[in-house]
Amino acid sequence: MSYLFAAYMVIWILLSGYLVILGKRQQKINKEIEFIRELENTQ
Amino acid sequence: MHRSLIWILIILMSVALYLVFIWSPIEKVMGNVQKIFYFHVGSAWVAFLAFGVVFVYSILFLMKRKRSYDMIAGISAEIGVLFTAIVLTTGPIWGRSAWNTWWTWEPRLTTTFILFFLYLAYIFIRRMDGAWEKKARLAAVFGIISFIDVPIVFMAIRWWNSKLHPIVFGDAPNQSGGGIEGEMLVTLLFCLGVITLLYIVLLQKGIYIERTKLAVENVKKNIQEKLMK
Amino acid sequence: MRDLIKSALAITWKDLYAEWRTKQVFSTMLIFSGLVIVTFSFAFDPTNNTIRAVIPGMIWVITIFAGILGLNRSFISEQYNDSLHGLIVSPIDPSSIYFGKFLSNFIIVLFVQMITIPLLFILFDYKMNGNILLFLLVLFLGSAGFICVGTFLAALSANSRSSEMLLPIILFPVISPIVIAAVQSTRILLIDVEEIESLFSWISLMAGYDLLFFVFCFFLFEFIMEV
Repeated sequence: MSYLFAAYMVIWILLSGYLVILGKRQQKINKEIEFIRELENTQ
Repeated sequence: MHRSLIWILIILMSVALYLVFIWSPIEKVMGNVQKIFYFHVGSAWVAFLAFGVVFVYSILFLMKRKRSYDMIAGISAEIGVLFTAIVLTTGPIWGRSAWNTWWTWEPRLTTTFILFFLYLAYIFIRRMDGAWEKKARLAAVFGIISFIDVPIVFMAIRWWNSKLHPIVFGDAPNQSGGGIEGEMLVTLLFCLGVITLLYIVLLQKGIYIERTKLAVENVKKNIQEKLMK
Repeated sequence: MRDLIKSALAITWKDLYAEWRTKQVFSTMLIFSGLVIVTFSFAFDPTNNTIRAVIPGMIWVITIFAGILGLNRSFISEQYNDSLHGLIVSPIDPSSIYFGKFLSNFIIVLFVQMITIPLLFILFDYKMNGNILLFLLVLFLGSAGFICVGTFLAALSANSRSSEMLLPIILFPVISPIVIAAVQSTRILLIDVEEIESLFSWISLMAGYDLLFFVFCFFLFEFIMEV
């Protein structure tokens, strides 16, 4: 039973790890968009 | 479109989990642990599918030189690495309880292992320095070469030694391959579908992020040019 | 077609002549192979009889690691005076660059093998009693497959600033079938002579791999050489 549990834990950990990576990329882009917006506003 | 796909995915994923853990019968010999099988096989299928997508879009890229083809190939390779990693971790956990050994140099395992390294090599090429056209072109060439390589790897390792995996579908030449029960088959096919959907959603998300990244870069370039004037 | 072979041979000749003048790559590969053999003697007890079992593996580990040294140089050395660029713009088919480079790398590796393998046999006191012609055929096919993909990927990784690190990473997974086939057929020839029937399927696997990858690399090479 614990093997089954471990296997599915690994699957979810890996999947959410990838989602976190994607989220970080998104965040980086969002920050840049924010920066560009501010730049536009100051001009 | 993307959002509704995510909701469908969440619903179907819970149905799949229900099927796996509650509905499907418990295998007599291996017991509960056999339930790893559904997601293990599903991930393996998606890993190979992802590599196939890399291959197709690499060819398309070399022919048409569209940036979106390169993006699709790149994201697909990343997801491929993810699912290969899932296969490579769940496999030994299952093997440990079923065969009492973590790892064995058996054709399918070894091929998946090498597939993992091929994907990683592909991603390393994409991370090279230089202009995107160059990286995309070189990565596409490698995507084609490595896809041709996979069946040969499998064949070579199969000749090298073949003992453990029961052959579930199709003819088993010299070992009685267990076969599969009806309910298990339904669960398996359902899981295959759901994981493929998961692959599509991840692919969409990844491409969306890459597109926005590109758009932001273009805007930045425009602003820079404006400031220069 | 004749032009292609002619220009390929010109490139091979240029490479081998440059190598003949400096002997840099060749001597480095030889010294490296010698050092690997010495390391093997520490790793596996040379007085023990089980050493026979690892000899086939040793032959190919030496070939591949020494070969990588040469492959790394093969395209990087063209970059110093921008001569790679010269090759690209010269009025020849890009595939002939590949063919020429393949031949020169292959010849150098064969020369290295001609010295290191007898040396290995002498140092580990191994008496060769198999079929020598078949053994040479296996060496030929195995190294051809390795160099065929190796030259191609060396050209690919030469585009990167860290090509010495990139090449082994991308090369090893792709050549794994040829490594398996080469080691297995060498093992059959040197140790398990009774399995001689399966030798021919390994040899045909190697021949098929060589042919397939040579054709693919030959035609895909122009994509690598684009400016």
